Amino acid sequence: MDGILKHLADIETPNVLVFGITGKMGRNASRTMKAVGTPILAGCTPGKGGQSVDGVPVFNSAAEAVAAIPEINCAVTYVPAGAVKAAAMDAMEAGIRFLVFTADGVPIHDQIVVKEYARAKGSLYLGPNTVGMLDTTGYLFGLIGGNAEWARKNYLPGCVGIISRSGGLSQLFGAFHCRPHLSGPRPDGSFGPLWDETYPGVSAVLCIGGDPIPGVTLLDAARAFQKDPRTKVMAVYGETGTTQENDLAAAVRTGAITKPIVLFLGGKFSKAGVAQSHAGAMIRNEEESYAYKRNVLEDAGITVVQRPDAVFSHTASVLNKGA
Amino acid sequence: MTALPEYKTRRLLANQGVPLVDGVFLNTQNDPGRDRLPPPVYLKAQITGATSRAAQGLVRRVEDPLQMASDIEEMFAAKAQGPVEGLLVTSAAKLCHEYYVGCILDFGSANKLPGGILMFSSQGGSGVEERSGSLKKISFSLLRPPTADMLTGHFAELDHPEALATFLEGIINTFIRYKLTVLEVNPVGVREDGSLLVIDCRAEFERHAIAKADKPLFTIHDAGREEQTRIERIVEKINALEPAGTGFIRENRAPVPAGAYRVATNLCGGGGKMLWEMAVGGRKDIYSANESDTSGGLSAFKSYRLLRAILALDTPQVLLLTGSGMAFQNQYHLAAAVWKALRESPTPLPSLLRFGGTEEDKAQALMERVMPSLPVKVKTFPAHLFPSAMIDHIAQMASEKRMTVVPEDQPGGEPAFRVDLPPGEFYFDPQKWTQPTPPPCVTICPTQFLKWNPDRRWVEPAQDARCIGCLLCETVSLLEGNGELRIKLDIPEMN
Repeated sequence: MDGILKHLADIETPNVLVFGITGKMGRNASRTMKAVGTPILAGCTPGKGGQSVDGVPVFNSAAEAVAAIPEINCAVTYVPAGAVKAAAMDAMEAGIRFLVFTADGVPIHDQIVVKEYARAKGSLYLGPNTVGMLDTTGYLFGLIGGNAEWARKNYLPGCVGIISRSGGLSQLFGAFHCRPHLSGPRPDGSFGPLWDETYPGVSAVLCIGGDPIPGVTLLDAARAFQKDPRTKVMAVYGETGTTQENDLAAAVRTGAITKPIVLFLGGKFSKAGVAQSHAGAMIRNEEESYAYKRNVLEDAGITVVQRPDAVFSHTASVLNKGA
Repeated sequence: MTALPEYKTRRLLANQGVPLVDGVFLNTQNDPGRDRLPPPVYLKAQITGATSRAAQGLVRRVEDPLQMASDIEEMFAAKAQGPVEGLLVTSAAKLCHEYYVGCILDFGSANKLPGGILMFSSQGGSGVEERSGSLKKISFSLLRPPTADMLTGHFAELDHPEALATFLEGIINTFIRYKLTVLEVNPVGVREDGSLLVIDCRAEFERHAIAKADKPLFTIHDAGREEQTRIERIVEKINALEPAGTGFIRENRAPVPAGAYRVATNLCGGGGKMLWEMAVGGRKDIYSANESDTSGGLSAFKSYRLLRAILALDTPQVLLLTGSGMAFQNQYHLAAAVWKALRESPTPLPSLLRFGGTEEDKAQALMERVMPSLPVKVKTFPAHLFPSAMIDHIAQMASEKRMTVVPEDQPGGEPAFRVDLPPGEFYFDPQKWTQPTPPPCVTICPTQFLKWNPDRRWVEPAQDARCIGCLLCETVSLLEGNGELRIKLDIPEMN
């Protein structure tokens, strides 16, 4: 069975280059990714070419890595925010088609340049400011799950596609759909188990990141899940700021997205011009406000729930589950 | 975004070769530079973030030297919009026309790549906001910015379009070179010969976008910013002591509404903040004593220090903590930090705790086990309950009287050893562990940093492993051993 990368970037088997693998975070995250099943073929740290980390060869640049190992088609970066643009351009120039940028605080100018460069090179990326993505066919990019044992235990194959602009909520929405007998609020106001031991499970978790200029947008992610035969319903965390939710609503309205979507929208009390949670949540005009987005989402037929834990009963309802 | 005063914005433009009206910056009222430009001149008070300066007498045209001296004195003494950093003196250049030029960022949409937007009006000067209909907007690439040749065609209807295009190229280059979020020149002065000058300008920028070498250009006077509270200063020092992981605490300056429940929060990440805001944003009966974001791979040592700072806030009646550590922080480690903070703080708070993420079950079990020994009431929630469910318990917790207690004794004497990062002092009491076998604090250590020396019957740090500050050694020593290992975590300025 194809993973979500097939539908997102036409990649059947990810072969990964890790930027920053010689650093503490890059090394630890690489171990987790490998333990979940992600093939990591090489690392990249300028000036440390020739070394190896846990048996993974390290190169000075993406060009060197791809020249030595042409199978590389993905990159994950664990580099500081200021180094993301250079790493991104290095990787895309080397022909790498899918990338993940975990760093928080990437300058907006750099985000814009990377977006344009990616378009020119035909590359796609997740982030910045993302915990990454996890596919239950057995690969992980980024930090979801914290450690491999936890990731394997909490993210189990199923039919819910998770899309989120928040790292924490992408993980919670994913993990809770994999818990037998999950309790939560029901549409009738009662509280209790939402399903029996047959939990819905997840196809993949895509955290698109909390910054104002994401590579993969809510709509891009929804299009991928639309094509993914495993996915029967999408559980989405959207919020104020950017036009992503409006773009998603427009795609539903035109019939480009037909699978059911349950969405929790954050930012009900956010004030315009104030950074409330994520950098990308800042409201810059009326179309980015909570009220506007909620209206267009509901008009399009998307289920917008009023509290985050109400997502689960609504996905259960779509799937005709019930304890 | 942070505003940059005009005199600093001029330096950025000058570095990119953009022509400026002659000017001099006076640091003090007796600055020798005051004699360099004779009247007529404009005097402009430089105040970070100030608006409508002219209306408040902070921009003045001066015609004669005597008036100039008294105006300089008056303007340095002005405090209308915050402290005056200095005065910018600019020549009253002879102009035949004024333009408006601005650069902003375009964040893009589903159908449009992000980039920059150049804004231009041939009717610049004061009141340009009311003439927005005259504004020409030209999208441009930050990756491949337009050259003067490419820009000329946009202004063919004006006199001297080449000169304008060259000027605009400099503006765009400045905007990109320093990664500004806003750059405005208003007015751009047009002289008889068609040459252009920056008469007045301003910029905004992202603090974290500035290259190290450029930082001196962006140093701004911070005196006008919100004054830090004592707790915020402590948190700043905690972050300096151990930079890894986000440790953000900001006290609420708003007055407490009558009868509102006062809640201190320890929330995790942007999602945690958003959920809290969603849950209580519409309620007047709950007052958030602080904003918080504790995320991104904190050690338990740092979590403990931040929690001690939160517990030292004067206002709150209840602590509400949510962890979401699936990505970064092991929740069992966080629970160890919570337990330590509640037993060592002289002002513990009744607490509502929800752990979510790696080892959340062990975290909840730990808190439930130690609950009876704590001086305050604690309630834990399973991970599947979101903060909205915790809020229902605030009123009950707030009915508990806030108490000041004598916290448990800190270990004394010389520590067995110290760890520099994350910083902590380890104390071992051999009288509490007399067996030759290693105590539980050694066997629990996840990195094998703690070693047992059976000959000395003593705990030692390994040279080939590092401490991650998880607090499991002390936790298990208290729960499974005899309290033989204790950790002292000093908090700067806490005492």
